[in-house]
Amino acid sequence: MAKTNSKIDRRQFLKAGVSAVVSLAVVGSAAYYFKDKSSLIEQGYLRPPGSRAEKDFLFSCIKCGLCVQICPVRAIKLADWDDGLSYGTPFIDPNVQACDFSCDAIQCAETCPTAAIDFQIFKEAGNKAVAPLFEKYPDGRFPKDINPFEVQITAMKRADKIGEAEIPNPEQCLAYNGHGYKGTLGHGNKGKLRPPGQTERVRIEETQVNREICDLCVIYCPLGEEAIELNKIEEGKFLPKVKDGCVGCGVCQMVCPTNPVSIIVKPVDKEPRFS
Amino acid sequence: MAFLYDWITRDKKRKPLPPKDRSNLPFARLGFTFKEWHDSHINKHKWRNRRWAFLIFINVLFITSFAFDLSILEGSLSGSRLIGIYLMDPFNSAQELVISSRVGFLALLTTNFWIGFFVILTIYWLIGGGRAFCSWVCPYHFLAEMGEKVRAYFIKKKKVRDKIYDTTVKYVFWAGFLLLAFVTKELVFEDINPVGILSRSLIYGPGLALIWVVALLLFEIFGVKRFWCRYVCPIGTTYGIIGDLSPIGIKFELDKCGYCTDCQDVCLVPHELWFVKKGAATREVHFTGGDCTKCGLCVDVCYGEALSFGFKAPSYVLGKVEEKKELHPLEIPDDVTDKKQEK
Repeated sequence: MAKTNSKIDRRQFLKAGVSAVVSLAVVGSAAYYFKDKSSLIEQGYLRPPGSRAEKDFLFSCIKCGLCVQICPVRAIKLADWDDGLSYGTPFIDPNVQACDFSCDAIQCAETCPTAAIDFQIFKEAGNKAVAPLFEKYPDGRFPKDINPFEVQITAMKRADKIGEAEIPNPEQCLAYNGHGYKGTLGHGNKGKLRPPGQTERVRIEETQVNREICDLCVIYCPLGEEAIELNKIEEGKFLPKVKDGCVGCGVCQMVCPTNPVSIIVKPVDKEPRFS
Repeated sequence: MAFLYDWITRDKKRKPLPPKDRSNLPFARLGFTFKEWHDSHINKHKWRNRRWAFLIFINVLFITSFAFDLSILEGSLSGSRLIGIYLMDPFNSAQELVISSRVGFLALLTTNFWIGFFVILTIYWLIGGGRAFCSWVCPYHFLAEMGEKVRAYFIKKKKVRDKIYDTTVKYVFWAGFLLLAFVTKELVFEDINPVGILSRSLIYGPGLALIWVVALLLFEIFGVKRFWCRYVCPIGTTYGIIGDLSPIGIKFELDKCGYCTDCQDVCLVPHELWFVKKGAATREVHFTGGDCTKCGLCVDVCYGEALSFGFKAPSYVLGKVEEKKELHPLEIPDDVTDKKQEK
């Protein structure tokens, strides 16, 4: 049976093979076409902290979604088909839910199997920060005012810059106009965050605040004074000033009560190392 | 390559055993006509039900792990973590490895990646029997199976016609997608992979990408039967390559076979059951090869219980032909006896 059919088989295989090669070529050229149109960073979305440069990220992310699952505030979402080759890769929309570092150990980076979100930078930064403490107290008995865990976490939060906050239109900002703010956090978005110095997470749409001068972006910043402070410009006019310590987590954008938001986090792309 | 091909097709190339006499066919040995024996069989759906239950269970585990923070089986079918142990999609990993070795990323892949890659290969080599992933886990396979039922309706109405093409074209796709990954330095296949798309849509919510899955499904219903699974899917092909070396398979015992070939009709990959045709078998016992998804449909449909799940003996794997043994004693199924008495 096999012998009589071999000629037909071969012809059929060639036919199928040619159509396979053609369809592969179509897919491949589509990939090339979408290659430069796939950057989520250019659209203003953030990658999770520790993410590699956009070009490296696209090939190293296998789109499993483990980072989405581990995030306790569900800040990470997966991109859809309209983002081309970025399909299935994680991003953070700080307008809705920002990364508030409340998982403490940058778990999305730790869970990533292909190191598209690189945990090494956080690990190294954390270890570097606690190393002198352990040298000073080799027996591991720290004085009460020193918490090595906190030192480590703080260093880890600072280790990677995914974006930088900026205030494009100061006229919108409540503080600039000398206004206070009374009401719930955020601009109608739902989200969670752990306010600095507290242990529990709160829902922003349920959190009532009352500030004489609106400084929500300053008081809720997980990195505190080194990232942002409220500057007095003239009598009754204030403006938050973003400093070098800002890592671009996006919490300020999430809690900003004006609509459209006055403080925006611009994603920062890194230098590609591999492609 | 040629060596591997020879090795895989070694049984097919052997001289076939002479076909059995009528008197040696199982129904004749029991004293029935073929029709009596054939009509008396009740299709049990035993393996199909088990398989569907398992497939749904696995995918529900994925969904609940995210939706209710159950954390048993996290991630998606592209990459997951089962109670702390990483599992990686083999073709996804293969693409990742191809790109990584080109751009120098290889050393940066985590230990968890390697664990996941090798654990999944071991599981499907040892327990799964290769392409078992397709019929026991893959959600697209489930949809396609439902699509096949819809297709059967249109075939009945003579709106569509079945035609079988050469399945070796899937190796062209397999190599082609790896080559594309190498050339473009992107996980190109992942953007059109219905398995990943469906899995992610189930777990993290539906998206635009589902349009592609629906389009494929429609093409499978009205165009080419089981187009993606049979002729394209490189994930299945990867598992199929492991499956050729797997110790598990569907076991075929020639002396229980009545040459009805009904098993080929229900099979997704009928070429794997080449030995059931009259005069095709080259040995007394055959095992299905790597393309077999171990779905068990043929086991359910077999009247003489000639097909069953089985372990390959080491001598079988080495290609040793067993001596002709005595015929298996046959048991008369209860339902057949009833029918005969009615007559």
